[in-house]
Formats: sequence, C-alpha cells, structure tokens
Amino acid sequence: MKLFKYIFCIIIAIALSNCSEDMLDLKPKDMLDVNTLLGDPAGVEVIMANLYYKLPVEDFLYYPRLGYDQYYGKTRNNLNRGEICAQLTDDANYTDKSTILDNTGLEYWDYSYIRNINQLIDIIPTLTIKDEDKATLLAECSFLRAYAYFEMVKRYGGVPIIKIIQEWTGNVEVLKVPRNTEKETWDFVMSECDVAIAGLPEVNKSSSRRANKFVALALKSRAALHAASVAKYWNKAPLIGTAVDQGLVGMPASDANGYYIQCIEASEAIMNSGKYSLYMPTPANPAVAAENYRKLFEDPNVAPMESIFISGFVSPIREQAHNYDVMFGPVQCSQGWNFSGRCNPTLDLVDIYESYSNPGQSAPIVTTTDGVTNDYNGYKASNPYIRWDNTYDIFNGKDARLFASVILPGTTWKGITIVIQAGYVQPDGVAKIETKQDITVNGVKYYTFGGANTTQYSGFDLFSGTQTLTGFSLKKFLQEAVNVTPKAESSTSDWVDMRYAEVLLNYAEAVVESGYTANDAQTKAFEAMNSTRRRAGHTVDIPLTLTNVFRERRVELAFENKRIWDLLRRREYHEVFTGTVRHALAPVLDLRVDPPKYIFVRKYRSSETAKTFLPRQYYRSIPDVAASGLVQNPEY
Amino acid sequence: MNRLPVCVAKLLFKSNNLTLKLFKVMKKIFDFWVFSHPTLKKLIMELKIVFLILLVSVSNVLAIPVYSQTAKVSLDMENISLEQVMDEIESQSEFYFIFNQKQIDVNRVVSIQDDNKLITDILPELFNGTNVNYLVFDRKILLTTDPLENNLLAIASATEAQQNRVTGTVTDKDGASLPGVNIVVTGTTVGAITDINGKYSIEVPQGSKSLTFTFIGMEPQEVSIGTMTQIDVTMTESAIGLGEVVVIGFGTAKKENLTGAISNIKTEGILTTTHTSLAQSLAGKVAGLQIRQNSGEPGRFDESINIRGFGSPLYIIDGITRGSGVDFQKLNPEDIESISVIKDASAAIFGINAANGVVIVTTKRGAEGKVKFRIHSVIGTSTPTNLLEMCNSSQYMDIRNDADVNAGRPAYISKEELDKYHAGGPGYESTDWYDATFKSHAVMQQHTFSAEGGNKTVSYFTSIGYQNEGSFMRSGDMYYKKYNFRANINSNFTKNLVAQIDLSGFLDERYQPGNKDYFFIYKGTTVSLPTDKVYANNNPAYLSNTFMDQSPVAFSNANITGYISEKNKVFTSKASLTYTVPFVKGLKIKGIAAYDTYNGLDKSLSKSYFTYAYDALTDNYLPKLLRSPSSISNSYSDNNFLILQGHVIYNTKLADVHNIGVTLVYEQKQSWSRIARLSRDYDAFYTNDQINQASTTNQQTSGNESESATMSYLGRFNYDYKSKYLVEFAFRYDGSYRYHPDSRWGFFPVVSGGWRLSEENFIKDNIPFLSNLKIRASYGLVGEDAGNPFQYTTGFTTTGGGGYEFTNGSYLAGAAFPSIANEKLTWYTSNIKDIGLEFDFFRGKLSGEFDVYQRDREGLLATRVVSLPNTFGASLPQENLNGDRTRGIDFSIGHNNNIGKFHYSVKANFNFVRTMNCYVERAPYTSSWDRWKNGNTDRWNDMIWGYSYAGQFQTIDEVIYYPGQNGTQGNLKELPGDYKYEDITGDGVINNNDMLPLLWNGQPKLFYGITFNGQWKGFDFNALFQGSGKYTLKFNANYVTVLMFNGANQPAYFWDRWHLSDPYDPTSAWVAGKYPPSRMNKDVGSMYKESDRWRYDASYLRFKNLGIGYTFAQTVIKKVGLSNLRVYCNASNIFTICQKIVKPFDPEKLPESTATAGNFNSGYTYPLTKSFNFGINVTF
Repeated sequence: MKLFKYIFCIIIAIALSNCSEDMLDLKPKDMLDVNTLLGDPAGVEVIMANLYYKLPVEDFLYYPRLGYDQYYGKTRNNLNRGEICAQLTDDANYTDKSTILDNTGLEYWDYSYIRNINQLIDIIPTLTIKDEDKATLLAECSFLRAYAYFEMVKRYGGVPIIKIIQEWTGNVEVLKVPRNTEKETWDFVMSECDVAIAGLPEVNKSSSRRANKFVALALKSRAALHAASVAKYWNKAPLIGTAVDQGLVGMPASDANGYYIQCIEASEAIMNSGKYSLYMPTPANPAVAAENYRKLFEDPNVAPMESIFISGFVSPIREQAHNYDVMFGPVQCSQGWNFSGRCNPTLDLVDIYESYSNPGQSAPIVTTTDGVTNDYNGYKASNPYIRWDNTYDIFNGKDARLFASVILPGTTWKGITIVIQAGYVQPDGVAKIETKQDITVNGVKYYTFGGANTTQYSGFDLFSGTQTLTGFSLKKFLQEAVNVTPKAESSTSDWVDMRYAEVLLNYAEAVVESGYTANDAQTKAFEAMNSTRRRAGHTVDIPLTLTNVFRERRVELAFENKRIWDLLRRREYHEVFTGTVRHALAPVLDLRVDPPKYIFVRKYRSSETAKTFLPRQYYRSIPDVAASGLVQNPEY
Repeated sequence: MNRLPVCVAKLLFKSNNLTLKLFKVMKKIFDFWVFSHPTLKKLIMELKIVFLILLVSVSNVLAIPVYSQTAKVSLDMENISLEQVMDEIESQSEFYFIFNQKQIDVNRVVSIQDDNKLITDILPELFNGTNVNYLVFDRKILLTTDPLENNLLAIASATEAQQNRVTGTVTDKDGASLPGVNIVVTGTTVGAITDINGKYSIEVPQGSKSLTFTFIGMEPQEVSIGTMTQIDVTMTESAIGLGEVVVIGFGTAKKENLTGAISNIKTEGILTTTHTSLAQSLAGKVAGLQIRQNSGEPGRFDESINIRGFGSPLYIIDGITRGSGVDFQKLNPEDIESISVIKDASAAIFGINAANGVVIVTTKRGAEGKVKFRIHSVIGTSTPTNLLEMCNSSQYMDIRNDADVNAGRPAYISKEELDKYHAGGPGYESTDWYDATFKSHAVMQQHTFSAEGGNKTVSYFTSIGYQNEGSFMRSGDMYYKKYNFRANINSNFTKNLVAQIDLSGFLDERYQPGNKDYFFIYKGTTVSLPTDKVYANNNPAYLSNTFMDQSPVAFSNANITGYISEKNKVFTSKASLTYTVPFVKGLKIKGIAAYDTYNGLDKSLSKSYFTYAYDALTDNYLPKLLRSPSSISNSYSDNNFLILQGHVIYNTKLADVHNIGVTLVYEQKQSWSRIARLSRDYDAFYTNDQINQASTTNQQTSGNESESATMSYLGRFNYDYKSKYLVEFAFRYDGSYRYHPDSRWGFFPVVSGGWRLSEENFIKDNIPFLSNLKIRASYGLVGEDAGNPFQYTTGFTTTGGGGYEFTNGSYLAGAAFPSIANEKLTWYTSNIKDIGLEFDFFRGKLSGEFDVYQRDREGLLATRVVSLPNTFGASLPQENLNGDRTRGIDFSIGHNNNIGKFHYSVKANFNFVRTMNCYVERAPYTSSWDRWKNGNTDRWNDMIWGYSYAGQFQTIDEVIYYPGQNGTQGNLKELPGDYKYEDITGDGVINNNDMLPLLWNGQPKLFYGITFNGQWKGFDFNALFQGSGKYTLKFNANYVTVLMFNGANQPAYFWDRWHLSDPYDPTSAWVAGKYPPSRMNKDVGSMYKESDRWRYDASYLRFKNLGIGYTFAQTVIKKVGLSNLRVYCNASNIFTICQKIVKPFDPEKLPESTATAGNFNSGYTYPLTKSFNFGINVTF
C-alpha cells in the first residue's frame, strides 16, 4: 500500500511543482521579432510586399462601385464580381445593372496606409544597413506616399497631410488634423514625386516591380496632368460652400499651366531617357496590329520596353489572383461558371474607333442604306436595313484596337464562335427582339438568341445575367491561350499600371492644352499621338488637335480605368450624362428573306433608365466628418 | 461466479394475509371518507404498501426453523444449464448454493420437472449419475465432489459460526407496523423485507456493522448491530425530493441544503426522450435551461444551449472542464447518472468562463454486487415536421410572366405558351425537386451495452455504444455514425485510499454529399424551376441544365459531386486518488489528473460534373462542365488538454448542530493544439479520392499551433445550523495566459445563504403539511474571457498582411505592421444576483421553486474607434468598456400523486428573460432623434425597428397620392396590391423616421415545458410539451422573396397575388390577392421593407415527446434468465401549435443563427423531424 501512497504524493507534488506563474507566460506564435525582420534587407522586402499589396493601384482587383476601402478591392477580399470603372462611363455597361458614378463608391481614404509608411520612415534611419540603401528606401517610401495621396486628392480634393505617427493618449482632440487645401495636397504629391525621382535608381536592384526613377516620373506625369485639368476646367462645374471658400476643393485656372509643365517635363524625361518605347511600333497590317495589341494586355511582361510599372498577380493563392477571365469571358466559354460576360462595351465606344479609310474621324456603325446613325428608337420594318451574311463583316475596316479590345458578334474566341443575336424579324415583318420565343419558318426552327441555350449563345437573354445587352463583350486583358479554372480568383495575368503609351498621350495632351512650345514640344506631341496610331496599323497621320488627342486616348487606353478620371478631371461627366441612356447594337436575323440574313438595329440599351451626373459628385464625400471634424465637401 | 456471499433473502407472504390486508385497506378508505382528511397521508402509504405487496408476492413458502422441510420449489425446465436451475431455486426460495467452481460443472445441461417439491426431493434428481455430493444445512446447500465428511465441520464453522440472526419489528411513528420495509446489511446485498406485521428476520454475516432500513416515503435509517439480535425500528416520513444528493462544483450537497440556484436532472428523466443529441433529451425539462434545435441534420449538433439567456455555458464532465456544447451533446445519455445546472453566481467556483452558468455532468459508476449487464436498443424513423409547397410549373410561369408585365417589359412568354403550361401537357409537366432529391423518412438506430458491478475492492461501470442516423437523401449519402465507450473504475487500495480511473471516448463521422452543406442541396430544391427537368430528355444518363446550376439531385449524390467527411477521435481520461486522513476525522485529500485529446480528421472531395441541354434538332446532348476542377483536401487537428487538481476537503459537525465544510482546491489547465490542411486540384481527369492521386498543380498547405494555460486557487466554506440556517462562501482566484502579467489574475467570490423556515417550530407546529420551505439568496462575481489572447503585445505578423509578386511567378508573403496594443485588457465580469424560494406541500403533492435573477456584465469589449478621426490611421485596441444587464425569472412546479395503483407526476417549468444594454460605446449623438432612434444605453436590446403596415394599395390612384415610401423613387415602382406603410411623422414621406420598435427580435424571451409521468402496474408513460415565445422569425431568401436570384422558384402561397386579369392586356383590371403583384427584386419598391409582413411572431407550443413503456413482471422474466425487461416506444415533435406561415420552416429553427455561417437567414437548413422510436431495455 505504500506504493499507492507514493503515487498519491507524486500527483500532489506534480500539481504543486507546477504552481509557478511561469506557466502562464506563453508567447503568441504568430508574431515576428521586429529587430530580426528589419535588420535584414530581405526582411525589409517582406514589409515592402505588404506595402505594395496595399498600394492603391486601380488594377484587376479594383471594385470602383464600393471603393478600395470597402469589402472588395484593395482590402482584397477579392470578389470583384465583374464591375469595373468603364461600366461607370459611356464606354460600357454592367450586364444586368445600369450604373454610373453617383454619391457612393470610388472611395479611397486609407490613412492606415499612410501611417504604415510613416512607421517605416521612422524605422529606416535606425537600421543597420548601408546609408545609400537607407536613402533609396526613404525615396521609395516617398513614392508610395505620393501614390496614395494622389489617389486621395483626385477623389476628395484637399486632404490632411500627415507625415508623423500620431500617438493615442486618450485625447481625441489632439489627433484632429484639418484638411490641407487642394493645391497644397497636389503640391505635396508633386514634391514627394520629386523626392522619389531624385532618390530612386534607374533600375531597382531588388525587383523591376518596385519603384524606380521612371516609375516615379510616370506617376508625376499622370498626377500633374490631373492637377492641371482640375485647375483649368474647375469652373465648368463650379461648386460653392465652405470647402470651396477655404480652397479645400478647387484651384484657380492660373495654376493649370504650372502643372501642365510639370507633366510635360516628367513625361519628357522618360521619353528622352531612351529606356522605353512602344511594343511592336510598326505592324505589317491591321490584323498583325490587332494581335500585337491584344498580346500586350494578355501578358504585359512580353513588352518590358512599354510596361513601366506592372502590378503583379501570382498563382491563385490568397489575394493575389483576379477574376477578369471568369467574369468577363463570354458565357459560351464559361465552362459552367455562373457569372460570365459581365462587361458590355457600348455602341458609343465602338462608334469612336476610326476606320482606316477615313482617318481622324470616328466611324459610327452604319446599319441602314440611308446612313442614319442617330436613330436609337429600335427596329422599324420600314427602315432600309443593310442585310449581311453574318454578324461580323459589318465591322470591317475599323481600327485594329477594336478587334483586340471588344468581342464583336461573330468573333471567334478560344475556338468558339461567339453568337450574339437579339432576335429575329418574322416573315410578316414583325420583329421579336429580346423576347424569348423560338419560331419555325419553312420547317426550320430558329432560336431567338441564335442557340438552344446559354452554352450556345452569349447575348441578349435577360434571364441569366451573363449576357451582353449591348451586343458587345470585353476582350482586352482576357487570356485566349490560357484556360483558367472556372472559379473565382483563377487569373494570374498581370496588370500594367503605367505604360509608355500613356506617357506619350499625357505629354500630347499637356502640350496641346498649355500651348507649350519649348524643346520642339508641338512636333514631339504630334509624333507621340500618331505613334500609338501607327502601332495600331494606321498609315496616315492626323493633326495634333484636342479632339484627335482625346479620341486617341479613349481608344488606346480603353478599359484601363482612364476614361472615368478623364471625365472627372476635365469636368465632362455631367455633359456626357445628362438624361443619357447608353447604346447597343442588336444583330437581328431577318427571316423575311430566304436564306435569312442579318440586319443590325442601333438602339438604346434595354432596361436602362436615363442617367444624370450631378456636379457635386466631382468630389467624393469625406467619410465620417463627425469624428474628424473635417470640413465636408460641397453639397454633401 | 462467487456464490458464497450471495444471499438473496426474500420475505414471502401467505396469500390469505394479502386478502386480510386488502380488507384492511378498504376499511381505511371507508374511514377516510367518513372521517375526512386526517387519515389522508396514511391512506397514501397504505396504497404504496399494496403496490409493493403485489410486486413481491411470488410464492407461499414460509420461513420456519427447519427450512428445508417446509420450503417447496416448483421447477419446469428443459435442456438448461445447471447454473440456471440453481438460480431459479435461489430465486424461488431462500436457499443458496455453496460450492467450489473447480469441482462443479455448472454448465451441465439438465432437464427437470417438479411441482411444489421439497429441496431434498429435487437435489437427488438434479445430481443423479454425477459424482456430486450435496448437503442441505438450513438455507445453505453445499455441493462438492469430495467426501462429505471432509467438509462438514468446515461448513459448519464457515457458515453457521459466521452468521447471526437479527430479528425485529418496523413501525411508523404512530406505532403502526410497516410491511415491505427493505432491510440490507450495510455495504452488502444481503437483505430482507418486513412481513405483513412489520416483522423481519435476517442472517447477518459476521463482522457486519449495521443494518440499513429503507422505505418509500421514509427517511432511510442506519442502525448499528453490535451484539444485538433484536432491532426494532421506528421510521419517520421524509418529504419527497429531499435527501436527494446534488452534484455541485467540487463536491456534492443535499438538495435541501443548497443555497444556490441549481437544477438537477437524473438519468430516468433524461432517458424519456430518444435523440442523437443529449441536448434534445433535456429540452423543456429543466427550468432556466434554454435549448433550441437549429437543424435536424444528422451529426450537426447545432442546438443552442443557454442557461437563463446568459449565453453558452461551461461544461464540466466528471469534475473536469471538457469540450464544447457539441461534445456535450455527443455524450451517451445512457452513461449519465445526473446533470446539474448551475444557474447563479454559485458558478464563481469555476472562475473564468463560468459567467454563463455551468452544466455539470456526472457519469455512472458501478457498485458492489453481482455483474449486471444491460442492453438498450432503439430504432426509429423520422419525417420532417413540415414541408413547404413550392410553385408548380403553371403557377411559376404565371408569376414569371407577371414579373415582366408588371415591370413594363414585354410578356416573358407568349399567351399560347402560357396556356400550354396551364394545361400541363407533355413537356410542360412540373418537376418536384424536393421529391426528386429526398425520400419521405429517415432511419436512426442506437445501441448501448453496459456492464456494472464490483466487489469490496473494485467496482466498475463500462459501456459501449453505437449510433447511426440516416438522412432524407434518396442517395443515402448523408449520415452520422458514432461509436463510444466508457470505463469508470473505482478501486479501494486500502481502507483509506480510493482510486478512480475513468476512460471514455468516441469515434464519429459526419458524412455529407456534394462537397457542399445541406444548405445548398436544400436551396437547390427551392430555387430550381419546376419547369426545368431533372434529366435532359428524361434520360437518366444526362443530368439536365438547371436554373443557376443548383440541381439538388447532383449535389445530393456523392458519386456525382463529391463529399465531405468529418471524423473525430476523442479520448478522455481521468485518474484520481482520494486519501481519507485516518487521524483527522472528516479530512480528505484528493489528487486528480485528466488528459483529453481531440483529433479531427476531415476530408473533402469536390468533383466536377456535367449537366446537359438536349438539342432535339440534332438529337445531341450539349454538355456544360460545372465545378471544375475537381479538388481534394485533408485536414487534421490535434487538441490536447491537461488538467491537474489537488483537493483538501474537511467536513465536521460540532455539538451535533453546527455543520462545517471546507473545500480548498488548486487547479491548473493547459492545452495545446496543432492544425494542418493540405489540398490538391485534379487536372483534366479525376482519378480517385486520394491526395497522392491528384495533380500537383495548385497544391496548398497550411498549418498552425497554439497553446494556453491557466492556474486557479479556489475554496468553499459552508456552515449550517441544524440544516436550518445555511451560509456558504466560495471564491476562485484565477490566472490566465491571455492577459498582461499585471492584469492576468482575478478574484471571483460568491456568498450565499438560505433559511429553511420549515425547520422552525412555529412552522412545524402551525402548518404541518408544509414539508419544506426555504428562502435563499446568492450574490457573486464571475469572469469571462474577453477577445483574442495576447492583445497586450503586438508585432509584425505575416498573417495580417498582404503579399506581392515582386518576381513574376513567385509570391512573397508580406508582414503587416504592428497595431496598437492594450496592456490593460482583461476579462469582463458578471455580477449575478439571485433570490429563490423553494416549497413543498404534503410531501410532494405540490412542490416548486421560484427564482428571480439579474446579471450585470461590465467590461464587455468595445473599441473607441467610432470617436477617432479617420486620419489617425490605426484602430484602437479593444478595451473593457461596455456593459449589459440580463434579468429574468424562472420557476418550476411539480405535483406527485397516486390514484389507486396509478402513480403520476406533473412538472412545469418556465423562464422569462430579457437583456438590456447598460453602456454601449459609440459616437456622440448628432441629434435627439439620433439618440431616440440609435440609442442603446439602458434599453432592452431585443426589439427590432420596423415600418407599420397599413394595408395594400387598392388602386393606382392610391399609389400616386400616397406619401412616397421608396426614397428618391417615390412610389414610382409601387403597384396596386403592394404594401403601404404608415406615415408616422405625418411629413408626407415614409422613411427611416417612420420606423418604430415594433417587433421582438429573433431570440425567444420565454421558454416553458410541461412533463407528465405516470406508472401503472408495468406500464409507464411520459409526455413533454415545450414552447418558446416572444420572438419573431424573418427569412431572407425565396421563402419571402418572389423570383429571388432573378427568377428562382418560390413558395406556392405567392401565387395568391395581385395580378392583371389578362397579363397580355396592360389595361385590364387588377385582381386582388394576398400578396403584392409579382416582380423581380430590382423592380419592386418598398415591398420588402422591415415590417410584420415579413417578420412573423414565431411563438410556439409543441408536443415534444410522448413515450409509453412496459416493464415485464419479474415472475415472467426470471424464467428466461433476465432481471429486468422493458420495451417502449416514443414519438417526438408530434404536433406544433404556431402561426401557419412559420410552420414550414419550423419556428424552433433559428434563421438568424451565426452558428451555420453563410445561411443568409434563408431557412435552407435541415428540417427538424417528427420521429417514432421503438426501444428495448434488457438487464440480466
């Protein structure tokens, strides 16, 4: 029995011996040692990975309707369900919604990012790395801060410029920082760009996807053009209120030229460096041009000479893959995925593309022999429709970039002919358009939308929400060669955030707008604008006019999230959307003739109500002014 | 077989005595009616006696000195073992056999037929032709193969010399003799029963200390024997329910001495309900224990278990903190001895995390005695409580067509086509998706086999169990299986040293098809269109394309779409040693070590599959590939818990009136866990369901570890004076790894007291029928872990940051910046007050308990983020800021009675509770309206704001002139038949300002249950009604939305709608209906705004359980070698009384549950079931 007494004593002893509070001193297993991490450049890169991840690039993940800060977008819950900036403009529609920019969305208010950059700026001088590496890192921090402030100022006007890490002491009042003026904020962006330009090397040794001198210059080119446009065009849609009185929004037109010149100088520095050029600048013919242009966006890594700054997407893990292929590919190629075909380019955009036969002019799609292109009231039996054997030939002769950017009715995509048909005209002349009702004529059955079900057609069937209602579907950025897995976050193609063509067009616009003549600027600008046209297969140069620069910009940069900011910075949004309904092109099978032929109906997009843009929406509403005490933007 | 100590003494009556007794009873009844109430209690006792007599009268053998000359036995047995014959003789008489097992072959097959013969005649027959010699010596029969002479002396000394006979008479306090009193030699199974005159005679083995006298309704008595040969006893009545021992924190207490609010339920009460979840076996039976079944899914176990509306309780199983509510629900009810529910601050002795109350489970242990085997088997079948009727294809097409017409679009289909749907001809039939996926009933079975017994040094309870619950899936691919075991062993090493070793565990598996939750399968049955077909061209080789690709037939078939299998391996163990210190009376020391391990092994396979469209033109099946690529994943989790406890327990009684108890305990808990997950995709081709057979593209892994530790010192001091004035103080001093060293220790005290008024003479003398009356009160502080651990420290972490592709094709995980830490963060505290009253009239005729309670919580976590400027760039850490208050009452009332041979009891319990916010951190109010609308402080948190429904628009003119109710859209989208709402503010616009706190939220405030139990002869009967009230249900998906998801199907009731008399003529007249005109979501105005149109009162009363059992008479089953045999059947969820509209969803289910995340309040959870079970319980 003694044995058991011993056992008993042992149990008590174990219990007592553990009576040390050390037992409670556990350490969390998910935290990294700060000193170890920052003592090594590779550790700094780990921190940079997080900062570049949070950099507000309007890339494949950008979900403008809710803004970066909301659920989607840059907090990268990565559920971009096929909503992109173009759908808020006259360039495209969302398949079964009809939206433009209104009071909500398009927000970016991320002072946690600013705080993180400031935290790093504070830490860098204390590191045990070479001084030159410290300087480069500090310059890189300025680039990141310039990028973030640019994204804020273009949305809100002036915002508080915070360069220190505020400490929480329990007193809210000391944390409150008033807004800087819009001009101060733009100037801060410019000066941060200048710090970055001065401090960054031409080549970042660590990665071509981290900032270098030219990336900083391209950012400055973009930001300065934006600032200049705001100053120049502010009075087209003037606002009133405290924010205006205090200069928190708006700048005088006299400031415009200064910014235009900064844009010109930054752009020119890139153009003169000889480091960058257009990808495949002289194609043999439009067909080759179209294919070159498509490839540039399918994988911008093929064009290091043009891709100045690439936002990378990698194997479909975590947050770094996107949905463009599965959300925008036509439903016929969806492999069972439920949310295809969500971006519908409008007829308005398709019309803009030049034809090779009439350079320097938009070339609207002509559907009737009388050449009328401004009647959108739908099918009329009496109209002299031109009949076509197929749905594709009507686009012949348009700019190569149309074919590379838009899936047209009858386009062959991934080996499948994309069927986009809105209905048919019965032999008696009555049309059934966008109403599902199959018909048998002369013993042959014809389907309303050109096929028995959605595995066989991609347009105009309201029922499933995966169909184009404009007659067009997005092609730019989609991968034809790669078949991505039909599920969310499958695409790993990369986004080119800054490319040489944009720099050329920024330059051309700034020169035209400012009338700048130094350094042979007018000639260089003419050359810049026509060089992107030539790359698209054009052989006839057109004059350097504002209209031509803008047509070229809209076409060349289509779907690259530029149109929305162009409308905003140049105060054109309210002119474009004033009771506006976007337009569609409906291919219709004409059964009045045998064999049946196709006619095309220019029409208002169905299920869209008239849209009007209110001038106050040129600035976003400042979030949560109740807590910050910031002056709200006008009319919010 | 150890027969020597086994002696089953039976007292048997002559049958003529019975007749006499019945006569006396009838006379007493007569007396009762004549002389009224004073004899009432006597009468009840008499009835009990009669009942007993009926049970024990077996034979008319009478005990006289030369027993073997008078005792007669009847045997009629063929081809049966000698052992069984011996058993039978022992059971019919007072004889018992003594033999050496090595000598006697008890398995020898014999046949014997004797009617009323002396043992001396039977034995020669039994052992004829064997070498067995026998000797009958009073009641002992010696069997041996040795010469008898060798044994005679030994036997004489071994038996006679060791036995003393004690005789006596048992009476009640009025001197009336008590027949049927059970007398046992304390600590053994040697016993006897008093005869009709209250006399008994018992053989007492030498060395026995005392006799224990027990009788129903009387206080048990223990009388020491000493040298006495005659012991006369007077028994006193006890109140029913008193004397019951209740398990409390770190000890036990007598029910009448409790000062806290503690409810208790014993095994019999639990086992009246048959269900795979233990929680369901408690629902409605315990006051203040709120149990709600959120789905009937096999193996889901998502009952919400909640004590008094406080939140999830702490579970203590055999003294050890163990597992979650799910693990609790998986316990085998057959293993459970009792469950105590600690409802007030008495929980403080469990320290942190006991603030929501504690559920204490005590499992069965063996007792000294012959081994008893028990088999319990139940099989059952179940059907959904209710089903929802969806639109058929004709109704669907009407609604779908209306949706376009009402929105101003062209009709969806032509009139001719619509007419064809109405006619329902070939190609236009309806598909009933529910019926295509589910069958009418599911099957369940449960089996438990247990053995218990023991001797002086070792006793044990062991059991193994098996459970298998099927589902409604036609495919049979959804089920739950569980195997469990338990071995509870006691060992007395020495007189003062007792060890317990408890081992238990289970393996279980939840299997579901489709690699998706049941949610999606059920959703598939409701959203898929009746106009779609299950198979393309009705060819079973080709699944058809369906609306939204949600074919439930595909999802419910593991062969087509894959599966999820969740397995658990759980092993729990506990060893304890208790040392009774010999030199200090009442002092015990106890050490306990418990180690539990929980292993999760989950596997999931998602298979891609094809659906097809049939193209009649070409006779082709056009495939559509879905859910590509196929993928497989395995995940493993390993969780370990180690608990060590040291107890010092001291109990003493001073001057015979002061009872003092002290318990001091040290406890430490440690846990550590590791998880890992790996997955791969399949390229083009699915091979088989093994990780190694899948492709290496997109293979992913993840894993993590964590650990925790707490230390506690706790104590309890209780004192009572003559069990009249009761005081208790308990405390716990807890330290937790979660908080900063300066904030990690907390002190949680509780003080409670009680006064048993019924023990006071002024009550005893004046209200003699008041058997118990006690008032009690408790007040204490309990803690609850707040937020994530380690919030006192921060650093860079790769878990919160994003990564980036700096080099094409390779991902670099980034590190997130440190956030702001809060070193002061600590647990939140609950201050719980409880006042209770217990009463009992007429010894159980009417008893009850009534409690009012209040819990105030302080230090609930909140962040001050709302008041920070959004330029600060960081969120503040969580702080202990908020507070709330929960107040409620609970009570239970019971009634026990006998009518003739019918014994019955009724118990009702009731709980009503509400919670208010006391302080809620928030931004300053911007206006008094903001304060009124959005204020929280000092307000009940259980109301929902809604619009006041004002009827349906009758005409388009009414729509036009009615205040605008849809924001900037005014009433543009409203149509006749749409819902209109009151303009409360009268400002001509109906907006936020017109909302009022009109509706209860989704959490029931009221819980009640009523149980009936009855016994009559061998029959027993139980019924349970249970209900909840004061809450509402609101569903979100197509149950309350027409054409959800742009065209999904909806319930058939929506067909009763406003619609144009001719949908093809927009000018035709409106036809009124119960629901608004059908439209797609995007086309409706204010139809779906929050109001009582969509949020329904869900109060219900349900007939939860009905059981009937029959226990066979001993005389019958003895013959087949059984000691007990009961068969029973029961039915659950027999009917429910509630609003008609909530019936199909079952009001008990919780649509607003976060437990099954992602269910979108859709009600797509597995239906609750109506079940019917048949069970058999055998003991031998």
